[in-house]
Amino acid sequence: MENYEYIVEMRGITKRFPGIVANDDVSIQIKKGEIYALLGENGAGKSTLMSMLFGLYEPDEGEILIRGEKVKINSPNVATALNIGMVHQHFKLVSEYTIAENIVMGMEPVKKVLGFLPMVNREKANQEIQALSEKYGLAVNPTDVIQNLNVSTQQRVEILKMLYREAEILILDEPTAVLTPQEITALLEIIRGLRDSGKTIILITHKLDEIKSIADRCAILNHGKLIDVRDVATTSTKEMANLMVGREVSFSTEKQPAQFGKEVLKVDHLTIHNSDHFPVVKNASFSIHAGEIFAIAGVAGNGQVEIADCIAGLTKAHEGKIILRDEDITQSSIRDRKEKGIAYVPEDRQSFGLVLDFDINEDLVLKEYYEEKNHTIKNFLNKEKIAQDGEKQIDKFDIRSSQRGSTVVRSMSGGNQQKIIIAREFTLTSDLLILVQPTRGLDIGAIEGIRKMIIAERDKGKAVLLVSLELDEIMDIADTIAVIYGGEIQKIAPAKELTANEVGEFMMGVHKKEVGANE
Amino acid sequence: MNSKIKKFLKPLMIPVAAVLIALVVGAIIIALTGSNPIKAYVSLLQGNGIIPKKSYANFKGQITDFMKFIDYVTPMIFAALAVCVALRCGLFNIGVSGQMLISGFTATVLVGYSNMSAVPAKILVVLISILVGALAGSMIGFLKFKFNINEVVSTIMFNYIFQYVISFLINTYYVDPVSRQSKMISTASRLTLVDMKIGGYKIDIPLGIILALLAVVFVSILLNKTKLGYELKAVGYSRNAAYYAGINVGKSMVVAMVISGALAGLAGATLYLGYVGSIQPKVLADTGYTAIAVSLLGNNNPYGIVFSSMLISIIENGGTYMKSSAGVETEIASVITGIILIFSASNAFVKHWLAQKNANRLLKQEKKEVQ
Repeated sequence: MENYEYIVEMRGITKRFPGIVANDDVSIQIKKGEIYALLGENGAGKSTLMSMLFGLYEPDEGEILIRGEKVKINSPNVATALNIGMVHQHFKLVSEYTIAENIVMGMEPVKKVLGFLPMVNREKANQEIQALSEKYGLAVNPTDVIQNLNVSTQQRVEILKMLYREAEILILDEPTAVLTPQEITALLEIIRGLRDSGKTIILITHKLDEIKSIADRCAILNHGKLIDVRDVATTSTKEMANLMVGREVSFSTEKQPAQFGKEVLKVDHLTIHNSDHFPVVKNASFSIHAGEIFAIAGVAGNGQVEIADCIAGLTKAHEGKIILRDEDITQSSIRDRKEKGIAYVPEDRQSFGLVLDFDINEDLVLKEYYEEKNHTIKNFLNKEKIAQDGEKQIDKFDIRSSQRGSTVVRSMSGGNQQKIIIAREFTLTSDLLILVQPTRGLDIGAIEGIRKMIIAERDKGKAVLLVSLELDEIMDIADTIAVIYGGEIQKIAPAKELTANEVGEFMMGVHKKEVGANE
Repeated sequence: MNSKIKKFLKPLMIPVAAVLIALVVGAIIIALTGSNPIKAYVSLLQGNGIIPKKSYANFKGQITDFMKFIDYVTPMIFAALAVCVALRCGLFNIGVSGQMLISGFTATVLVGYSNMSAVPAKILVVLISILVGALAGSMIGFLKFKFNINEVVSTIMFNYIFQYVISFLINTYYVDPVSRQSKMISTASRLTLVDMKIGGYKIDIPLGIILALLAVVFVSILLNKTKLGYELKAVGYSRNAAYYAGINVGKSMVVAMVISGALAGLAGATLYLGYVGSIQPKVLADTGYTAIAVSLLGNNNPYGIVFSSMLISIIENGGTYMKSSAGVETEIASVITGIILIFSASNAFVKHWLAQKNANRLLKQEKKEVQ
């Protein structure tokens, strides 16, 4: 019999980074065989806390006890030796290797060729992985190559990787962020199964439904401080949300019914090839009206980002037409399209949306620096005017930084970087607003604000094209939903005619293609 | 401290630290060779006319040395500016030496060997070197833009081509049989007024320095105040973001290389038709390579470059006098330059180290406050 009460105990943990206290005297106790959720907004300190348990950081103060014994975890190797495993938000897999190779990497079964040459014993590895996957009900084929797999299978590989290392304490960092509703259900089932086989699971998340459906207990963090630890069964999601944000939150964004105006964008049989001349978008047709939020739902990598890039002019159309207010812009340059009224919040904010080494003011004029209003005399920038405009936008969009307009963007948090892009693109004079993942990585407060702004832009009569991987977001604000799967649009329908589950099924390509409604 | 002053001083910290550390290390090396480091450093300053020597030959004075020093600095400033402009657009112009050579050679042949009178000759020298340099630079930019040929590779290749073709031409047509260099150019076309007698001293007057200082102001305004400068910097910092913003990335790179080449051309003119007056075949000027480091040491800032050019020039140009007066080998000067450049190139490391120290200090402060 084990002589400890808690398998994991973290006492008085404090971790400081320059200018910020990421964890402030946090103490948690986790029992063997429970699903323990860590709930909090972005930047609340959940990941930092778990990174210390996994040996990526060391706490400045406080102590960690594993199975009742005080330990010093100063590297992931120590954590692994203590049977602690972690699946990170971004998977760490070698995409050219097979599943089995990825899992055994670092502790490969070895065979001696000719009696002395050590070689990796692939057959044994494959057998071991097969057995492991059957034992825990994580169906995978050990010889499949990672790059051919979808995200949810890759995630299973990550979980198997921990199990292969005999992890007893499994940390999952935002495991459902990249999954469809159906895949989420399957994953939660797996997590339950793992618990039932005696594993202890720590779940980092900000999704309340998931906690409600599988967690036993839940610790709520806010600004690095532990707010409360609750039994999930006796706490409502509403209560948890309020604790997490520190104030009352509304779950759905209020909006008036849409008033559709004239057609702004028409995409006509658009086919897009990637750099390998492989069609990533096939024959897509849709149209967006003034005052309409048109959302493209889909699992990541199904062609939705390519559609957005192509409309904004970053990539060329292979076939088909893009028509903006009766004008064919299929061959127009990026600058031309901006002039004609397209604003674009791109998916990759750090490498495309912003020049990270510019300051805030410079990045705010990235699309308009050349316009007459920003010049003193021709070709000379009017730095004073740019700074004044910058001040206004910083206030209006609540962009937080240490030195206001002259803060170098690279030094800012991801959420505030995104606000710069939002500020710039929403302020542009435009008829069509293309938004790709506009709220990714932002905290609940900021997400609420941005969704309200999107609706406000719609109400001003802009056409909005929203590409999002968050089904919640699409269900919350879209007027029309298109679902894309494998580069083909599966379904187009008014949002109120679809449920989240139906959209999820189309996202998985379950239904045959049926394009309805507004075509 | 006033935040404005702080903002001004912050970028100076690393270069100044690099120089100080290099001087200390240099002093140790000099001491190890058995000489007096202080005497050696004083002689460096004396050799450049920054502080007076004990005695001077006829018609020579501190001002003679100082003006010679300024003459030496001039091409360095231009060359470092050339590196700086390209670097701001994300391009590494290793070919400054080659661009200097082709510009200097063209101006030498077209104007230096003519019998034009002084004013038109000097103006033509400047214009031709700008034009030829710009053309040489534009070729690099065009190859990058059109065929995506890495500018580092193409500039190195062009350096070889210019070096050997021009060597061949000099040896075949323009060689001076005694000096084994190209024939001296006419006094009228030379950008340095040599051995002018002023106030009892013989002084070289480098006209190029005026142009160099104007170029510093020009480059600073171009980079910081104009639309074009904004575009070049956007491309330099992030090609993707510039492309997304609708900036013509290819055109920006060609323009940056044209400006960089033109500045390199001026460096060539002030070196070959100013400081030296002739061209040594088969040799590329060190200036073009040292300029890369000078630009880095000056934080890629045009005004910073004036100071870093002067500093490196003091050491390089003062080496000869250091040998004669303090008995320290000339090569030691290059060693010190090398050390400065290594430290200034480890900019990123030093920044990281400083940030770490700063963080530790904050932590300690916080802990104290907690207690």
